[in-house]
Amino acid sequence: MAGPLTSPTTAPTASPLSPGKRSARVFARAGVLLLKWASLLALLLALVFLTVELLPGDAATATSERGESAADLAARRELLGLDRPVLERFLDWMTGLPTGDLGTSARGEQVTDLLSSAFPNTLLLGAIALLLTAVLSLALGCWAALRPGGRLDRTVSGAATAVLALPEFVVAVALVLVLSLWTGWLPAVTLTDADGSPASWDMLVLPALALTVPQTGWNTRIVRAALADEARTPHVESAVLDGLPPHRVLTHHVLPGALPAVAAGLATSTGMLLGGAVVVETIFNYPGIGSVLASAVADRDSPVIAGVTALSGAVITVVLLLADLVRDVVTGGRR
Amino acid sequence: MYLTRRQLMGAGAAFGATGVLAACGGSDDEPTASASDASAKPRKGGTLRVGALGRPGAITRDPHGTQANESDYLVLSLVYDTLTVPGDKPNTEPRLAASWEPSADLRTWKFKLAKGATFHDGSPVTAEDVVFSLKRLRATPSGASRLPGIQAAGIKAEGTDTVVLVSDYANAELPLLTRLTTFVVPAGTTDKDIEKAPGTGPFKLEWFRSGNARLVRNEDWYGGEVHLDAIEVKIFESPQAMANALLAGQIDVASNVGAVAARTAKGRSDIQTVRRSNDMAMPIVMRTADGPFADPKVREALRLAVDREAMVAQVLSGYGSVANDILGTGDPAYDKSIPQRARDLAQAKKLLAEAGFDTSKTYELLTTEDISGLAESATLFANQVREAGVKIKVVKQESAVFWEKTWLKGSLYTTYWGTNDSVVFFASKTMVSDSGQNEAGFKDPAFDAAYEKAIGTADAARRTQLLKELQQIEYDRSGYLLWGMADGIDLAGSAVRGLPTLPGYGRVQLEQAWLAR
Repeated sequence: MAGPLTSPTTAPTASPLSPGKRSARVFARAGVLLLKWASLLALLLALVFLTVELLPGDAATATSERGESAADLAARRELLGLDRPVLERFLDWMTGLPTGDLGTSARGEQVTDLLSSAFPNTLLLGAIALLLTAVLSLALGCWAALRPGGRLDRTVSGAATAVLALPEFVVAVALVLVLSLWTGWLPAVTLTDADGSPASWDMLVLPALALTVPQTGWNTRIVRAALADEARTPHVESAVLDGLPPHRVLTHHVLPGALPAVAAGLATSTGMLLGGAVVVETIFNYPGIGSVLASAVADRDSPVIAGVTALSGAVITVVLLLADLVRDVVTGGRR
Repeated sequence: MYLTRRQLMGAGAAFGATGVLAACGGSDDEPTASASDASAKPRKGGTLRVGALGRPGAITRDPHGTQANESDYLVLSLVYDTLTVPGDKPNTEPRLAASWEPSADLRTWKFKLAKGATFHDGSPVTAEDVVFSLKRLRATPSGASRLPGIQAAGIKAEGTDTVVLVSDYANAELPLLTRLTTFVVPAGTTDKDIEKAPGTGPFKLEWFRSGNARLVRNEDWYGGEVHLDAIEVKIFESPQAMANALLAGQIDVASNVGAVAARTAKGRSDIQTVRRSNDMAMPIVMRTADGPFADPKVREALRLAVDREAMVAQVLSGYGSVANDILGTGDPAYDKSIPQRARDLAQAKKLLAEAGFDTSKTYELLTTEDISGLAESATLFANQVREAGVKIKVVKQESAVFWEKTWLKGSLYTTYWGTNDSVVFFASKTMVSDSGQNEAGFKDPAFDAAYEKAIGTADAARRTQLLKELQQIEYDRSGYLLWGMADGIDLAGSAVRGLPTLPGYGRVQLEQAWLAR
């Protein structure tokens, strides 16, 4: 969390840099960050290939049928290019990446085809969940922060801790039972249309909620803590002493300073949302990358796993970058 | 296509909402399945929404590819026809091949194509198309196991309506081999165009996307009248989600959804449970070649120590039947006259003593969680045989490790077969000395001789007699302990009629289904 600022002269409202210099600085910083994340991602992808290599069995055995002889398996291995060293296969795959070629699955399907509707679907679900999480956690956090230590504050904080401990799985199963099978209000699972997207919008509600609930718990606590930290800063204290009404202090003095921490918390949630999607998508039969990933791991299908990793990695990178930029803009480039 | 290793991974460990619901379910009355009710006159029209298991990463559109997804196989088998299809009695029925006839030595088989069969684009099906398709199938990595004993050169056309298959050896049950993956596409179809290749089946593909598909009736199907306007296939990764979709009325049929879901649906009068008996074998393999179970007396002792009724009741939730250590229980040639083995702990202990079996040691039973109930069967078995003085520790292995390290090699492990083709199928695949998947390392000259004699006998009655000899040996001393057979379980809405009741891949035969609404 952002610590209390040491000197009143560096209050975040006053920026010593001119707007032009400042945006150039932001761009440079974004470039450096992007480069850092991209190389991290490349490292991660290499790790994916290596890990799959170390798992017992390979894509040839995983996609074979019972009764294939050793010669059949060797033929399949050659067909899939598994007879080549892992480094060579990784570099091969990496060279296709800039052109958008994610390789071929162990079953001969183009990875881009496998992910063409699955990835946008997961993004949609993740974006809805992230938005809901942001709105709910900000609202709840601010609401609790209006009267620190009050009954409301304690209730919200307690509830937030309780739900953040709930696994998505439990939330999802409970939601299906109550909101679908018992009441019949919402569809229990997601069915897919000819265009590969959910057949109706109400099918998104339950999976989005299942992802939102635990993340809201987590982020509400972050918002609450960031607001508490910020509330202790001198400029906020002086605003309070000036006699400003509490909600105005909150929106104009506390919240802006707390934003970087809040944005960082939400950015972290992006990764957890994508991770949680693997579980939630299975329960709701949601046509996203979670189920593609799960089956690819079982199949030791490195190109598919790497494809999913690259795309989710890119999304997480962008979100982290945005969070960093928010911090830069708010703090005027100083930390 | 027989069984792909991971075919049923999705069926494993179904729990969660369905489990919770099962606990809440009040009534134990199960609505009787009216799906097989043939008395009513089929109504034409309607769209049937079918849920089938499949993993998005394993989707394939190639009728000759490795079809790990039941959903893909369902779509393919509605669009494309095979030469023959699974039946009840006999277990092989005509489809694109209207009839077939062997040569005297049972090595050359001639299949006559059905009259009036056309592709969905209107062009007639010729022997050339079939030869092209079978050769394409034979050229896949699994070709040798899908068309066993048939080389590419042994697939020939004779005129426009006859296909000749020449086997390396006499094979009285060759037509049975053509039941599952001999999907026919037009001659000359390239790999690039395989997804667009027209079929000859009862339904035409309207669209396919990410494992989901919509199929419409083929008005010109040569195989008889099709009642449904359309079938929508929905892919489900988990049986639990599929059961929920059915309970919520989002689909009409949950195909092969499993016993857990069936228990859940028990209290619902608007849900039918279709039980397809003899669907899945989950035998325990005892290595015969060497190791602690090499002595037939030890194997018999274990067979006598298992409590088969308890296994069926607990492992399969009662959705199954007791078996008698002979594989191929659904075969019309299955020998029902061999007495059912029952639990006899005293005799088991006596046999173990006679064999000098070391009861002070603890033996490992290796298993996986590939399919629901498999690991549970191992645990219950270990508890049961402890009463006969045999100490067994169950070791669960990750699927990939199991298939690489334990399968075909271990001295005691669980296996499973989602196909139940015939006594001959299992004999040829898993018990003849040189069979490729000899799971127990079983080598028995008398068994080999009985097998060769049976498979080389053209006369059906005589062959059935010879197969009895073979089954007796299997019962007496093979490496299998087959305690029971699991039912295949489909759930369906109350309006669905005419659903298939055959085990295994018979479940995809939806051309007779109709909707009473």
